[in-house]
Amino acid sequence: MKQNNHSIISDVKKVKGLGSAHHGNGHWMAQRITAIASIPLVLWAVYSVFNLQGVSYLEFTAWLASPLNAILAILFVLNTFYHASLGTQVIVEDYIANFVFRKIKLIAQKLFFIALGVAVIFSILKIAFTMGI
Amino acid sequence: MAQFTLPKNSKVQKGNHFPAENQGENMKNFKLYRWSPDDEDNPRYDDFEINLDECGPMVLDAIIHVKDKVDSTLTFRRSCREGICGSCAMNIDGRNTLACLKPINEVKGDVKITPLPHLPVVKDLVPDLSVPYAQLASIQPWMKTETEAPTRERLQSPEDAEKLNGSDGKGPAGCILCFCCSTSCPSYWWNGDKFLGPAILLNAWRWIIDSRDEATGERLDELEDPFKLYRCHTIMNCTNSCPKDLNPAKAIAEVKKLMVQKQG
Ligand code: SF4
Ligand code: SF4
Ligand code: FES
Repeated sequence: MKQNNHSIISDVKKVKGLGSAHHGNGHWMAQRITAIASIPLVLWAVYSVFNLQGVSYLEFTAWLASPLNAILAILFVLNTFYHASLGTQVIVEDYIANFVFRKIKLIAQKLFFIALGVAVIFSILKIAFTMGI
Repeated sequence: MAQFTLPKNSKVQKGNHFPAENQGENMKNFKLYRWSPDDEDNPRYDDFEINLDECGPMVLDAIIHVKDKVDSTLTFRRSCREGICGSCAMNIDGRNTLACLKPINEVKGDVKITPLPHLPVVKDLVPDLSVPYAQLASIQPWMKTETEAPTRERLQSPEDAEKLNGSDGKGPAGCILCFCCSTSCPSYWWNGDKFLGPAILLNAWRWIIDSRDEATGERLDELEDPFKLYRCHTIMNCTNSCPKDLNPAKAIAEVKKLMVQKQG
């Protein structure tokens, strides 16, 4: 709701605005949970990258095709992108005051993370289903 | 976008220098922010040299000395001069605090004083607190009950009273609404029109944990909002700046915990 410059409104009306949105707890919880989940997943990812140094393309795809590695890789991607999406949402809400611009930016970046996630997961599955034995 | 620089007519300029009348061993320079709505001038820092042997030990004593002896147009708020009324909150030497509780000798070099940050200025060191006050009104800081009023006072166990007062006197009921915390919070700077800020959230918490209040759920419902509550990112500036040693950051964390509990 836009107040034009000529409306005479009290400070209380101004700060109460449109009232409480009655959400925020879910986002906050999801942010903590994905942060905690990222600890083992990132450790696994770093350990794997370290171990996979110098391997050939075939060795790498065979490694990724193993069910455990493929599942962990997908979880890693989902968790990371979900966490990044939640985090960037907070930054946008903090700094972009204009409602229309903020909403467009929020929707666009959510779609971006979904598209990116789907693309990466598709790639992992493709390798898993074509290179596996 | 959030605004990171001051508009042209708010840039602070060099002001006047007022040397002390009587020189002595203990001289100190006070750089005071000055701005008046009555002329078109930009804000400025006026320099007041003060002989500390001629004034009391606290920063408030020094600015009262300036008003009494040097420049009676200097404008600031104060009342109790003992850290109880919350009116003398200002930014001293880069920190929000109460002028009446801040010893001059804790400041090395010149004492630079500006109004509380990120609020419109009424005049000199007086900020416009109408938005924070309206935010306080919006959380309905009074006891709400459904149970019929008793014929005597509503009883509270000493343990429950201690939740409000704190065993060390530093519970949420000790808040004097000076707004040192809110105006030190970066989230409140960027979104102070929608984020309630640490001072108000601490006071909301004070009513949420009051054993006599019967509107706990409604109070939590009203707070659950991405802007009102969840703009707090646990930066902790609020707790660092509270001149009464209260812990608004912890109060906010407790509110967030109750939100989780409320969901089952
Ligand atoms: S803990 Fe929250 S309220 Fe306190 S300064 Fe940080 S963001 Fe602001
Ligand atoms: S919590 Fe502390 S800093 Fe904040 S308003 Fe209350 S007394 Fe002042
Ligand atoms: S004058 Fe009352 S708190 Fe400083």
